[in-house]
Amino acid sequence: MIDILISDPTLRDGNHAVSHQLSAKQVAIYCEAANKAKVPIVEVGHGNGLGASSLQVGIALESDKVLLETARKNLSNSKLGIHVIPGFATIKRDLQLAIDIGVDVIRVASHCSEADITQRHISYAREKGKEVYGVLMMSHMVSATLLVEEAKKMELYGAEGIIIMDSAGAYLPNSVTEKISALTSSLNIPVGFHAHNNLGLAIANSITALEAGATILDGTARGFGAGAGNAQLEVLVAVLNKLGYNTNIDFYKILDASEIAELEIMQNIPVIKSESIVSGLAGVFSGFSKQVKRLAKEFNVDQRDIYFALGEKKVVAGQEDIIIEVVMEILKKDKHE
Amino acid sequence: MNSLSNSTFIQQDCERSCTDVELLRPLSNKNILITGGTGFIGKWISEMIIYLNKQFGFNTKIYLLARDIETFKSEYPTISKNVNIFFIEQDVKYISELPSDINYVVNAACSPDSREHVSQPLKTIDTILKGTSAVLETSYRLPDLENILHVSSNYIYGNVTKLNQKNIFESDLGVMECNSIHSAYGEAKRMAETLCSIYRNQHRLPITIVRPFAFIGPYQKLDKPWAVNSFIREALIGGNIRILGNENNVRSYMYGSDMAYWMLRILSVEYTGEIYNVGSDEAISILELSKLITKLFNRNIEVTSRYTKDNHNKIHSLVPDISKAKSLDLTNTFSLNESLARTIKWNQLFNNVYS
Amino acid sequence: MKKLRVAILGSGNIGTDLMIKIQRSEFLDCVLFIGRNLSSPGMAKAINMGINVSDESIRAIEKNPNCCDLVFDCTSAKNAIHHWEILEKLGKIVVDLTPAKLGGLCIPAVNLEESVKQKNVNMVTCGGQASIPIAFAIGKTHKNIEYIEVVSSIASKSAGPATRLNLDEYIDTTEYGVKIFSKAKTTKAILNLNPATPCIDMQTTIFAKVDKANLEELKMEIDLIVEKIKSYVPGYQLLVPPIYENGRIVVMVKAIGLGDYLPKYAGNLDIINCAAITVAEEYAKNRNHG
Repeated sequence: MIDILISDPTLRDGNHAVSHQLSAKQVAIYCEAANKAKVPIVEVGHGNGLGASSLQVGIALESDKVLLETARKNLSNSKLGIHVIPGFATIKRDLQLAIDIGVDVIRVASHCSEADITQRHISYAREKGKEVYGVLMMSHMVSATLLVEEAKKMELYGAEGIIIMDSAGAYLPNSVTEKISALTSSLNIPVGFHAHNNLGLAIANSITALEAGATILDGTARGFGAGAGNAQLEVLVAVLNKLGYNTNIDFYKILDASEIAELEIMQNIPVIKSESIVSGLAGVFSGFSKQVKRLAKEFNVDQRDIYFALGEKKVVAGQEDIIIEVVMEILKKDKHE
Repeated sequence: MNSLSNSTFIQQDCERSCTDVELLRPLSNKNILITGGTGFIGKWISEMIIYLNKQFGFNTKIYLLARDIETFKSEYPTISKNVNIFFIEQDVKYISELPSDINYVVNAACSPDSREHVSQPLKTIDTILKGTSAVLETSYRLPDLENILHVSSNYIYGNVTKLNQKNIFESDLGVMECNSIHSAYGEAKRMAETLCSIYRNQHRLPITIVRPFAFIGPYQKLDKPWAVNSFIREALIGGNIRILGNENNVRSYMYGSDMAYWMLRILSVEYTGEIYNVGSDEAISILELSKLITKLFNRNIEVTSRYTKDNHNKIHSLVPDISKAKSLDLTNTFSLNESLARTIKWNQLFNNVYS
Repeated sequence: MKKLRVAILGSGNIGTDLMIKIQRSEFLDCVLFIGRNLSSPGMAKAINMGINVSDESIRAIEKNPNCCDLVFDCTSAKNAIHHWEILEKLGKIVVDLTPAKLGGLCIPAVNLEESVKQKNVNMVTCGGQASIPIAFAIGKTHKNIEYIEVVSSIASKSAGPATRLNLDEYIDTTEYGVKIFSKAKTTKAILNLNPATPCIDMQTTIFAKVDKANLEELKMEIDLIVEKIKSYVPGYQLLVPPIYENGRIVVMVKAIGLGDYLPKYAGNLDIINCAAITVAEEYAKNRNHG
């Protein structure tokens, strides 16, 4: 009996860390390792999910088709999961394809206040017999009451669990407790937490979530993910074991998988860089970090100024184009001073 | 080619549910309007009338009122081609005139799809409130009106279903979270009952209210994210059954043809202003339900449960007390097991998606 | 000058805003505002403004076919198909604001003169009206464009339940429009809803992947076309003029609404309505000359 359901988005969130350049070969290698470790769900795809390869958020090296087919071939113990944001992915063009390839788990995501846009995608995936979760991104941006309202909509659309994401790595443990408890006391279905490590709290926040009633946690090998990275999966498994929770994951094998990941798929192991701290404080989507870094360098602007300006504009995931606007604004201001 | 046609299958069900044809005699040579006529309730009542006309020469005419008739006509030719079925393509909210030969009205408009209630709560409220008031206002001017059956909902019981583990009586009333968009459907249904009592009192309109519980059977759409619907769908498409929420929650399911007979029986009783629960009192836990469905398939189906621990000790029961209906000689002729078996068989034989 | 008599089908936000805008037109006379329910807010507004109204939907025109020359269809794609069957027989011009795509796509800054040769024109989508003129300018100044992408962010508040349910249709129609006008090999459309308060203005970014950017010429073309759009969408502005960075051309525009029926943040609604009126006025001018 599994106490805590672990979903591993190393090959999805991690794609942010390499500007979506994961190759089919790398996907195959890590899937094989994660499969051996019996990780329950392995999430694969572009960092922003299905159908998101674009100039806006980054063109992926491999198509969704190649990524998913490769993963499918290498997963037997583990289920194949995808992240789907309506507005990027359409049912006809993207979701049908993924289902034809044979994905098992579909996580339909929206900005934390916009759950309505997930109805069609959730319904479609449920009708096709898939395991479907609702994901609320950037969940630090709304109150617990509003978050519950959106989560309940997803439950009624047919979601089988709700995962809230700390997409900006902005949570402190007390807000994790507040939000997760509010959700677990109002929903009938399981609740999950997806951490980012901008403030060094990814593991601590994940455990706090669990203590508040969450039963689904996301973690990635070496924390490989957007910005400062996610909760480090092998650490998470170790801590959960020590706390006496069962994840069904083979501990030695997950340690092996993380070694393999470090060697085969990472350009750099995630660390909390100065700009990640600022990004977390400003509450900016972690997926922005690569583009912020590049544009800051290209136009000779301070990354920290960009993050605080983006935070003030309350941009949501998917609004990467605003980084350019912000950079242009800073340049204009500098000229005047 | 199936040896058994859809219409034979359904007519067999009608025959079984129709325990006493004579009780429905008042409807003979009369005309019935059903709003929301293309839904589950409308289809089954139409089928029952088709049966009564054919076997017992009832000569009852049905008007089905709905917004989108064309799709319905192409999907359900046996109903739509019947000589006694007529269509009125209109939005229930905006009706102002009805055929003057109508004797009975069944007000069943508004989708019970909980997905739509939260994504389009204003539309939900509008359909229920404006729809009900348009139906009542227009019915008031029908010269030969005998009775209106207003189809309410078990949602109006609010948190009674969470507080009680015993069956719900018509007199039980719980509270509802009035400041939540999730209450749009339930609160509107409550207000609609209030409208009914106002029209009954102020305009002397004969109105009987029924509060339906869960139904199952042919014509029930399996894409709905409700427990029994998704269990059967998963089992039909070769998947496993996932129970969402507490597997100890208790439900009951009434078969479609039983429902139709009940509705018509209640419609034809001399008007007393009564309210009736319509449903089955054969209670079953969600876990037992999933096992029952599993047994009806010739393969191993894994059953898993997903829930939040917080709510796991609170058992939520939604089963009607039906003694009032029983006093009208109404029974559930299909057991739960038979209802499920029949539903599965119908989908395998006649639903293109699963056959 | 004799005004063209127009009717509006659909009394929602789009139809009502259109009706208010038409009151300022020298070329159009709104003779009938048609919905299904006389008590809707749009109807109340029309009645207050002294405009003839009907709650009989398409039947209002069937009953009195001589009431108007042109019909704005602001209902839904599904209804628009049914309406066109009737209106075509009655010889009406239809300006279609749904994604039904029955007639040719019309972007006034690009193909106004051609559009009015047809009896049914489609106004694509709000994101399409904002992005296609720019995509067209890129197509005009660059050959063999591999890929164009348009990303729109709109205020969450300006996206009603129908928009939210139909994101996929929005994406399909916008991608189709961008492809036709830019001649790019592949196109992609993305829509973000932003709930920030105060509400954000509608903003659209156009990205193009080209071998070699011809920024000089593109800037000139864009300045020209932006001026053209401004003549019918006063709140349209170039936010970031074309830059070439990381192998892609980037242009950003925004549209602030006129604040007629919905507040100014609903630039998405404004831009498609202003475009629809422009094409209707063109029909009117042609008729007067013809």
